[in-house]
Amino acid sequence: MNFELDDEQALVAQTIRRFVERELRTWAADADRAGAPPERLLGTGGSGGELGFFLDAVPADAGGVLDGTYSHTLRALRGLELGRGCAGLAALLETNVEPALAVGRWGTAAAQASLFGSLAGGGLATLAHDSRGTLDLTDAGDAADAADAGDAGGDVRLDGAVGPVPALATASHVVIATRTHLLLVPTSALTITPCTPSGWRAAQWATATLEAVRVPADFVLSRDPVAVETVLAWARISLAARAVGVATAAMEYAAAYAADRVQFGVPIGTFESLVRLRDDATTTTLAARLLVLHAATELDRAAPPSARALDLASRARVLAGDVVARATIDAVQIFGGYGFVNDYPVEKLMRDARAFEALHGDERLGRVLRAAGKER
Amino acid sequence: MDLFHDSPLLSGVRQMLTAFATQQIRPIAMVHDAEESMPWSLMKAAGAFGLTQTAALDGRKRLTGTEEDPDPTKPKTQARLSVVASEELAYGCAGICLALGGSGLAASPIARMGTDEQKAEFRRLLAGTDEHGHIKVAAMALSEPATGSDISGLVTTATADGAHWILRGSKQWITNGKSAAAYVVWAQTDPAAGRAGVRGFLVAREAPGLVPGRKETKLGIRASETAQVHFEDVRVHGDMMLGIGPGAGGRSGGVAGGLSDTKKMLDSTRPVVAAQAVGIARAAYEYLLERVRGGTVRGTPMASHQHIMFELADMQMEIAASRLLAHRAAWLADHHRDNVAEASMAKAHAARTAQQVTTRAMVLLGEEALVPGHPVEKWYRDAKIYDIFEGTGQIQRRILARQLTGQNPT
Repeated sequence: MNFELDDEQALVAQTIRRFVERELRTWAADADRAGAPPERLLGTGGSGGELGFFLDAVPADAGGVLDGTYSHTLRALRGLELGRGCAGLAALLETNVEPALAVGRWGTAAAQASLFGSLAGGGLATLAHDSRGTLDLTDAGDAADAADAGDAGGDVRLDGAVGPVPALATASHVVIATRTHLLLVPTSALTITPCTPSGWRAAQWATATLEAVRVPADFVLSRDPVAVETVLAWARISLAARAVGVATAAMEYAAAYAADRVQFGVPIGTFESLVRLRDDATTTTLAARLLVLHAATELDRAAPPSARALDLASRARVLAGDVVARATIDAVQIFGGYGFVNDYPVEKLMRDARAFEALHGDERLGRVLRAAGKER
Repeated sequence: MDLFHDSPLLSGVRQMLTAFATQQIRPIAMVHDAEESMPWSLMKAAGAFGLTQTAALDGRKRLTGTEEDPDPTKPKTQARLSVVASEELAYGCAGICLALGGSGLAASPIARMGTDEQKAEFRRLLAGTDEHGHIKVAAMALSEPATGSDISGLVTTATADGAHWILRGSKQWITNGKSAAAYVVWAQTDPAAGRAGVRGFLVAREAPGLVPGRKETKLGIRASETAQVHFEDVRVHGDMMLGIGPGAGGRSGGVAGGLSDTKKMLDSTRPVVAAQAVGIARAAYEYLLERVRGGTVRGTPMASHQHIMFELADMQMEIAASRLLAHRAAWLADHHRDNVAEASMAKAHAARTAQQVTTRAMVLLGEEALVPGHPVEKWYRDAKIYDIFEGTGQIQRRILARQLTGQNPT
């Protein structure tokens, strides 16, 4: 068992850490207030693109930079750092990965041409998960179409709504995950309503309304629930990694503040009760970090991923959600009155924490239902 | 035992204010949260209910139409009334509740330690409306940039100058700090005397040198204004120093009008603040319960799942416990009994309950709670301040710990 990073992993972590400290952290507060990312982050010439974001999961022969197998371990290491910078901007930087990998693995030539063409030109895509099961998915083809398509099935019709979803306000494409299907849909086919939730304010959120949206058979990426679970496992690990990053940042800020702030004649960081808040956060953050990396390593071990890898990804999200909720609330507590005002960085982190547990719905619910034999 | 059942008086107030919270506060709560604006027209309308800016001076007469028994040995109902009223108003919106009651923080020390002249001056300053047609409000200025939890470290000074005092310093996190027409300011009159030298002063907004600072952008309670206030050599007549009248203050053994009286005042607000946290928790709990009653999750009734229902059961338990603690602390105060420990327990417990209930409610609601303007998300942001202001959770535990052994653990 080796807990050290190898040279490539260390280089990725170090590079992203430098980017976080020099750029993301200095942009975070303004992006939060503006509800928008800085212009120099996005686009092919932006600093996100220069670091390989946006195209790292797009195959090299389709205008991207992915040569060989995608590493979820490297992505997790990157997420751990990004979360320390800004959860909202991190969501934008990571948004293309799930759509690009899903279309790369299961997409037809037509689906790949449509998505990769947009991404190579600086476009964004996102993943929308119908976690509430409210989308109505029906077979849209006639009998002849279905026969032509054989076992693969025909066109699909979608009705309902999804979101709020990060990046959806600016994305050209969305991969919609229902319990059984993965579908690539150009956002032009949807009614998109941009919105700015309280957390991840810079992440260009939107909700989408779908009215009789017809997804042609060659944009139906998969009709296999295992494929859906695979994509969700990628997303869960990335979310969990960024959540751990936010928790880490919360306690970094709290430690610095507690060392400076004097009450009752001593720095408040010397009071045992506040030491304890930080110490517990450090313990749980370290544990969550290990679980995230363990899940990512398992996911990288085999394709399609093992049941164990899928399970670990879900557990990592449960733990990371708990950890970021607690750590951000406690960081505000350590800052006291200053924690509650926008001039200091931690009230933003408390707002940002919520999306990690809200996106894709309550992670524990699905686990409990499966373990109780009520769902498969 | 009237701890467990509201008396007819209390249940009447509760009923009236539940309706007020539901019909008047809730419909405007999200707007004032989003805009970070004070609910001026509601504050004016609330006067009809007895929720005036000088309510602390008026006693409970305006709210209930009855007066306290003047016999000082008889039990009062004021503390319990405040607890019931606060829970209902905060159930509507904690920020609006604080906007409605913000002047009370200044009115309380005036009512408690003020001379007749000071009371009349306070009423004069708050009479009528300002140039915007807004009612006038008051602010209590105690906390300072370097003095949050440790209120004995105040550095704002009051220097004698003949019959006047000259105030100099800055105050932080002051409710109504920007809009107030009257301020009750705490300042050090004698640095060598330490805590005993701290005194309160009633200062009018027009006093030269009184400069309201920037309004803070906050995580929650955004309908309540919070701002810095600067005192740049503000002259105040000695008649406006609190605690100078016969029989004023000094009940807790310290200097009349001094810091010990201020601390005593914080003890009396803790059950009220606890009740507000209970109101927030109850709002989130009821929202979730309503969603669960008719709702389905993955094709099955939400109410059929222990995973969801046992969390609601836990919420119900913690809210009930918090409410009982707040009522016990208020009951003791109404019966003229020491309630320092009970008030701290109530405040610390209710703050924790409000944070836990709102956080868990958001998780159980899933993506729905991400929609901008979702009330449970607002209550999550509102709840946090209850573990910080009026004595942090750590300060409450410090008070309890000191009561146990006589020592201040560090």
